[in-house]
Amino acid sequence: MPSFRISVSPSRRAAARFITQVRRAFQRAYAEENKKTGLTQSAIARAIGVHRSVINRELVGRKDITVGRIGELAWAMGRIPFFELPESPVEIGMMPIKSITVDISRAGPKPLTGVNQAIIDEWKKQAQGASIPFAA
Amino acid sequence: MATPLELDNAGALFKLDPDLAPGKREIRSIYASPRLKTWIENDLPQLESTWNIELTPQEQLQAFIEEVFCPREPLTYDWHFKPLTHIRDGIWELKTADLRMFGWFFVKDCFIGSAANLTDTVKQLHLYRPYAEEAVRFRDGLDLNHPKFVPGDDPHAVVSDFSFP
Repeated sequence: MPSFRISVSPSRRAAARFITQVRRAFQRAYAEENKKTGLTQSAIARAIGVHRSVINRELVGRKDITVGRIGELAWAMGRIPFFELPESPVEIGMMPIKSITVDISRAGPKPLTGVNQAIIDEWKKQAQGASIPFAA
Repeated sequence: MATPLELDNAGALFKLDPDLAPGKREIRSIYASPRLKTWIENDLPQLESTWNIELTPQEQLQAFIEEVFCPREPLTYDWHFKPLTHIRDGIWELKTADLRMFGWFFVKDCFIGSAANLTDTVKQLHLYRPYAEEAVRFRDGLDLNHPKFVPGDDPHAVVSDFSFP
C-alpha cells in the first residue's frame, strides 16, 4: 500500500505535539470561560496589559506562547496551569524503558517464615504489642 | 469505480499514515493526490513560517493531523479557531497557521486532499478559487465510487465532533 508519512524528527514531533496541546488547552479554556462568564479576548488583553491582537494571535497559533505567558493567560482565564512529566508507557526518545520495580521500603518488615512456632510465640510475648508482622 | 483505499492500492491516491501518540486511534483519515503527496514530501519541508513562529509549516501540519484531525479530537472549541472551512462545491480547506490544504470529504471523516500551499501565497495571489476549481477537476476525473463527496457546507456533516461541546 503506497501510504506515506510526514517526515518529522522524533524530537520535533514531540515539540509540535506539546505546543499544539498547550494551545488547544487555552482555546478550550477560553471557549468555556467565554460561554460561562462572557470572558473576551479584550478582557484578557487588558488584564495582562497587551493589545487584543496579541492574545488573538497567541490563541490561533500565529504567535508563540512563552512559558511566562502560559501563567498569565491561565491567570486571566481563572485557571491553574498544571505541568508534570510522567514516565512514558512506551520507549520513546533517548531513554530506554524503565524496568518496573517494587519499592518495599515503606511496606514494613517482611513476614518471617520457616521459623519454629515456639520461638515465634516467645518473640511475640517479648514484643508485647510491638507491631512486627510475624507469619502465621 | 473504487474506494479511496482501492485507489491508494492502485497508486491514484496516497493515504497519509499518521504517527499517532500511544493510545490514540485513527478515526478520521486523509488521502492525498499525487500532486499533494509530492508537495508534502518535497516542498513542505523547505517552507518557513511567515509568522516567524517556532513550528515550521511541516510541523504544524504534522501536529494538526496527528494531534487533532486523525484521532478525532474536536476540531474547534470556538468560532474564532476554525481549522476547517467550506469554500464551494463541497470543497473544504484544512487550516494551520501557515498552511491551507484543499480537498473534499468522500464520506464523513474521510478527507481527500488535492493541493496545499502557504496561507500567505494563497491570499496574496487570490488562489482560493483556482485551488477549489482544481480540486473539483481532480475529483471529477478520479475513478471514485459515487457519490464522490459529501455535499453542502455543514462541517458537522463532514467530520465527527466538529465542535466542542
